[in-house]
Amino acid sequence: MLKRIKRRYLALEVDSAETFESKDFMNAVWSAVTKLYGEHGASQTGLSLIHYEPERKFALVRVACVACDMVRAALATMTRIGDKPVTVHVIAVSGTIKAVYKNVGQMLA
Amino acid sequence: MRRLYSDLHLRPNIRDFKQTVSMISKAAKLGYRLTAITFPSNCDERERQQIKEAGSEAGLDVATRVDLWSNTPNELVRDLRRHRRKFEVVCAVCQSKDVARQAAKDRRVDLLNFPSFDFRRRFFDLAEAELASNSLASFEIDMEPLLTSEGAGRIRFLSSLRREALIAADFHVPIVVSSGASNELLMRRPMELAIMGSLFDLKKDLALDAVSENPAAIVKRNREKLSSSFVAPGIRVVRRGKDC
Repeated sequence: MLKRIKRRYLALEVDSAETFESKDFMNAVWSAVTKLYGEHGASQTGLSLIHYEPERKFALVRVACVACDMVRAALATMTRIGDKPVTVHVIAVSGTIKAVYKNVGQMLA
Repeated sequence: MRRLYSDLHLRPNIRDFKQTVSMISKAAKLGYRLTAITFPSNCDERERQQIKEAGSEAGLDVATRVDLWSNTPNELVRDLRRHRRKFEVVCAVCQSKDVARQAAKDRRVDLLNFPSFDFRRRFFDLAEAELASNSLASFEIDMEPLLTSEGAGRIRFLSSLRREALIAADFHVPIVVSSGASNELLMRRPMELAIMGSLFDLKKDLALDAVSENPAAIVKRNREKLSSSFVAPGIRVVRRGKDC
């Protein structure tokens, strides 16, 4: 029987003076993951964008639990989106969307 | 128990007070409790005190650090004699094998840093680790080169770090992971620095120690030594007076 895939939700702070389209942001994330782990590694991450707010510089992404550290390492190596300098910080990690928003709310409060 | 995170290598431009303060505030915001700022060896006490005060205003413990770029072992010994009592953290930047060996066996050196990308110019090998394990020196890994490089350069650098981290763990040489950031955009959260340790196969508990316990232990040990009550390791003045 197929095992249920465990997932993790990462709340991200996109630290930059500029704002970015969601497409540009995700392209940069995929590019960072591919550079570090190759296409085979990137295929294991199950990465997808759940929510993105460019004005608040906030993003929520979903990843496979087994690849959570891989994605976090790749996000830490991001220094640019296009030619604009950027830093991406993971501000909360959780197993459900509800919990991650609760954690982010507590941190921002 | 909750870990208290430290970053022992922030490199702001000390002459730019505004940038230094903003990096200190950023470190506090990212969750650090202790940071070490690299000062030029000729900077005065007043300047260091001013930055320490800015740190305490931001809720951050700021330690003073000096990087010694000595070219020969004799020069390193001379620099250590001159600067050891002025700074809380002393790092020997090893550009040659002779300097690396001298730094590893000298108990006044806290951190061994190898700035070169070229694996032939990185001297943290078995002999170096053995010397370091008998002294107080820790092996420092800066993350800035990992962020600013890419392609073949980063691949070779990761490969060198993997070998060196394994040697350090084998010889029980403490590893210190630092950001080495020269601006705010190169600063990362402590957990991110620890997770980046997985890129060179550093085990998670070792990586967490490398951003919390190991750097904090260095600063604690040196502050104790620099305090006026210190006599010798394990001996300190507890009370002064005629009746003692």
